[in-house]
Amino acid sequence: MTPLLASLDVTFKALAPRSGDWQAILPEICVAGLGLLCLLQALILPVTQRWLIPATTRVGLALIMVMSLVPVSHWNSSEPTFAGLLMPHLPLIGVRLVFLFSALLTSLLAESFLRERQASVPDYHHVLLIITSALMLLGQANHFVTFFVCLETAAVGLYILVGYLRRSAASLEAGVKYLVMGGLSSALLLMGIVLVYGSLGSLGVKDPLNFVEIQVAIEAGKFTALTLVGTALILGGAAFKLGAFPFHTWIPDVYQGAPTPTTALLATASKAAGAFSLFLLVNVPFHGLAVRTAPLLAVLTVITILVGNLGALATTNIKRVLALSGVSHAGFLLAIITVSLVQPEASAIKWSAADTLWVYLLAYIVGTFLTTQALLAMPTAEDHHRPILALRKLFRRSPILAGALGFGLSSLAGVPPTVGFAAKLLVLILLVQAKLWWILGAALIGVTISIHYYFSILREAVIRPSDDNEEVAVLPTSGLVRFIIGFLAAVTVLGSLLIFI
Amino acid sequence: MQISPSVLLLIAVYTPILTGLILLTLRKLPKSFASGFALGGFAIPAVIAPWLLAKWLSPNTEIQQFISDGPWGFGMGLNGLGAPLLAMTAFVGLAAGIKALTQEVEARNTYLGLILFMFGGTLGVFATTHLIGFYFFHEFALVPTFILTLFWGGEGRRSAAMQMALYLTAGAMASLAGLLIALDASGLSFNEATLVRVVEALAEGPHLPQATAALILFGLGTLASLFPFHSWAAPGYSAAPTPVSMLHAGALKKFGLYGIILLGASSLHLSQGTLGNWFLGLAVANVFVVGLICLVQRDLKQLLSWSSVAHMGPIFLGIWVAGTNGKAAGLDAAAFLMVAHGLSCAALFLLGNAVRTRAGTYRLDSLGGMASRSPILAALFIAATMASIGLPGFGNFWGEIGVFLSLGGLPLWLQAIVASTVVISAVYSLRAVAATFFGPATEALEERYRVAPFGDLGLAEIGAASLLLGASLVIGFCPSIITRSTNPVMTDIAAYSQRAEIKLSKPAPQRAPQSPATPAR
Repeated sequence: MTPLLASLDVTFKALAPRSGDWQAILPEICVAGLGLLCLLQALILPVTQRWLIPATTRVGLALIMVMSLVPVSHWNSSEPTFAGLLMPHLPLIGVRLVFLFSALLTSLLAESFLRERQASVPDYHHVLLIITSALMLLGQANHFVTFFVCLETAAVGLYILVGYLRRSAASLEAGVKYLVMGGLSSALLLMGIVLVYGSLGSLGVKDPLNFVEIQVAIEAGKFTALTLVGTALILGGAAFKLGAFPFHTWIPDVYQGAPTPTTALLATASKAAGAFSLFLLVNVPFHGLAVRTAPLLAVLTVITILVGNLGALATTNIKRVLALSGVSHAGFLLAIITVSLVQPEASAIKWSAADTLWVYLLAYIVGTFLTTQALLAMPTAEDHHRPILALRKLFRRSPILAGALGFGLSSLAGVPPTVGFAAKLLVLILLVQAKLWWILGAALIGVTISIHYYFSILREAVIRPSDDNEEVAVLPTSGLVRFIIGFLAAVTVLGSLLIFI
Repeated sequence: MQISPSVLLLIAVYTPILTGLILLTLRKLPKSFASGFALGGFAIPAVIAPWLLAKWLSPNTEIQQFISDGPWGFGMGLNGLGAPLLAMTAFVGLAAGIKALTQEVEARNTYLGLILFMFGGTLGVFATTHLIGFYFFHEFALVPTFILTLFWGGEGRRSAAMQMALYLTAGAMASLAGLLIALDASGLSFNEATLVRVVEALAEGPHLPQATAALILFGLGTLASLFPFHSWAAPGYSAAPTPVSMLHAGALKKFGLYGIILLGASSLHLSQGTLGNWFLGLAVANVFVVGLICLVQRDLKQLLSWSSVAHMGPIFLGIWVAGTNGKAAGLDAAAFLMVAHGLSCAALFLLGNAVRTRAGTYRLDSLGGMASRSPILAALFIAATMASIGLPGFGNFWGEIGVFLSLGGLPLWLQAIVASTVVISAVYSLRAVAATFFGPATEALEERYRVAPFGDLGLAEIGAASLLLGASLVIGFCPSIITRSTNPVMTDIAAYSQRAEIKLSKPAPQRAPQSPATPAR
């Protein structure tokens, strides 16, 4: 063996995964495996048995959720794995639950939606599961290589899902917009990573892509102006995923044009990815820059909350309203991230800032999917055209859908006894503890404004019309839809119980 | 085996909520069964709550017997102010329930279920010991109120419901900020933050800036229709279906006052400094300006709604004055008026709707002479009006006279303005009575009577109205039922309010620490 080969051998041995490494990401491997199983099933199953594919996906996701809740150290350790590529800095259970739950609900919503539009169900599920797996890994990234690869895997998958309805111009338009804007944000992110790599590498940092090493270097004062520029670009890339001001402009158009189940996925999983990665970035690699990032985040929080809420106020398409209200929720997530920098010990009831992040996301997922399910159950000629006025007389046509809207919108607005209220309360308590009065004020004003647009939707669905005699056709709902609504409505109430106990 | 009062308290709060939940899920229940079921949900708290008040007054029970852990970690328990308000709410709820059961409405089970939700939430407000819990239960009633108004409401429901939701949320958010700041300053953990502990910690601890007091005063004040944040109230009550107006104006609105008394009046020094002056001015405006607004109302339900706003004025004044002189008298009177107003206001809404179902309109100029057609209705309506303007014999008398007597230290011109409202309130109330029940009936009304002759009140409505007016008479003749319960709490609160004068805008001068913990050098 030549000396070169020998040294390479040593390097590879150091990088080679140890036996425990694979265990640590077992849930993620299972999700990706489930995704491959979708394709396999599509190959071998006869057409009449294709219904098995979404069913397997759901059962599998539910089992993996249970699995990731099991408190064994095999896949819950906080040790670095894969030679430092992965290391969970965030509460692992929370990260996994958020992505698994939103994938499960997307699958439940998507099946009948896709069938009605003659679109392929197995492919959708395959892409969905690959995205989920990538995002679950993203939450544990400890290295910019993992970070970027996971983020891009998910982004490419989401480009596909946004433009999934090839016969719909709106879906394609949204896909192209998302591709262009997403490409831009990836480019910024990559540029930022390179700047950080270069500037820190030239200062002698051994692995200037590893989060922990970057943190140590920056906290020791080893950084240049280029590092700061790189940091800003990287944070911008994450803020794009989150949909925070000023990177929120793509949100209404893409959310409106995307197939509605994908909209819900974008609103939850993609936003969660942005929130988790931003939390990770400012708290681990760039923690030494907190003096600079915290004021920046605080200002962006206030603006994001106000811009999202005021924008939604003047909108009449429900999908756009939900998109812009999602921007204001991104503001609340930013508020949590700001608190984690300003007052790291702050804890609300029993939840730290990092815990509040995933609790808030779970609450947001429940509200979003409940509302989306109610929307999807209503027939429409064009998926992107859902005016608020179309909800007229919904209370008479289908009390259960009106009830779903009532629960879902109340939870998004944060009205007791829903889980949305409990989550917002946690954020407000954190803000009081961190003494961030400006953000607290903006949050409270935001909630008040949000009541107007959320309740405008609910009002249209509930109000007794003046032309009282007109007969309306009853809107039938399938058993699955009723099941989902009942389940999520129960979760909105029980979830808030769980948060307080 | 004796059932503990704390268990009964839980039953009283959660029976309506559970009954409502069942009615909402089983929308196809047969009508008669649903009626009986809902009546149970309305009646059980009305039986338990007065019994609890009696137990509370009895010297044989300890406070601890009323306290238990409720769901959401919000403990349940009573206090001297909550106990009478709980009993009042239970009566108003039963009367509203009886009214709702007699109505012929679309989607009846959903209607009843939502009213039961609202009822349960209102009971919860006065039955929880937790600082955030009492906020939680109030907001809990918001969505049912919104939906009830939109679908079963009357004219103007579209804008009124939204206006109400926005004002209530804005007020709730401001007060929530105040509550959370108070919670943080008290140094208590979330789970141990009962109202009493927070108040005690704040009275002992460092003073909060007056901005916190302002958040609580204006936030909760909006919910209790403090001038100038009152403009949601009258349209909201007018547009809502009658049982909802009864519950909201009678009972749920008292949430704001309850919070202001327990938190604001005790340790946040509401009545002092600049904020105190504003508070006084707005309270006087609440009495006087809104009183003038009442004078020009030409619609019976609008008038009742506005007068219910105007009657909040004396309550605010009572709270204000106790914070300045540290005597419990003003607070006692305010608390008394809260209970009495709940009863009389609900009775008026109930009977006003009875007028409407007979005459087909609320417009005062289209009414008249109804006393000859419906004498019982007329008698009860007049009695309720007398109660409302504070005639001796009814509960409101003690409240109003108590507030006015406690204002003795004010400048004479201010006293004159406040006292003039008694006259104004008598004028508009009696004029409404006259226009509705006496004089000649209008052509339209005669015509309506010829087509569909209307009779007098039904047994159910008589029962509901007598329940409310009877309760008002009982506390009118035997006011100690309420004062014995409220006085100890109010004495404490008034004392807390004087624990230390606040320093106006200027920070306290730095003095050398004198606590024994720091050793002298």
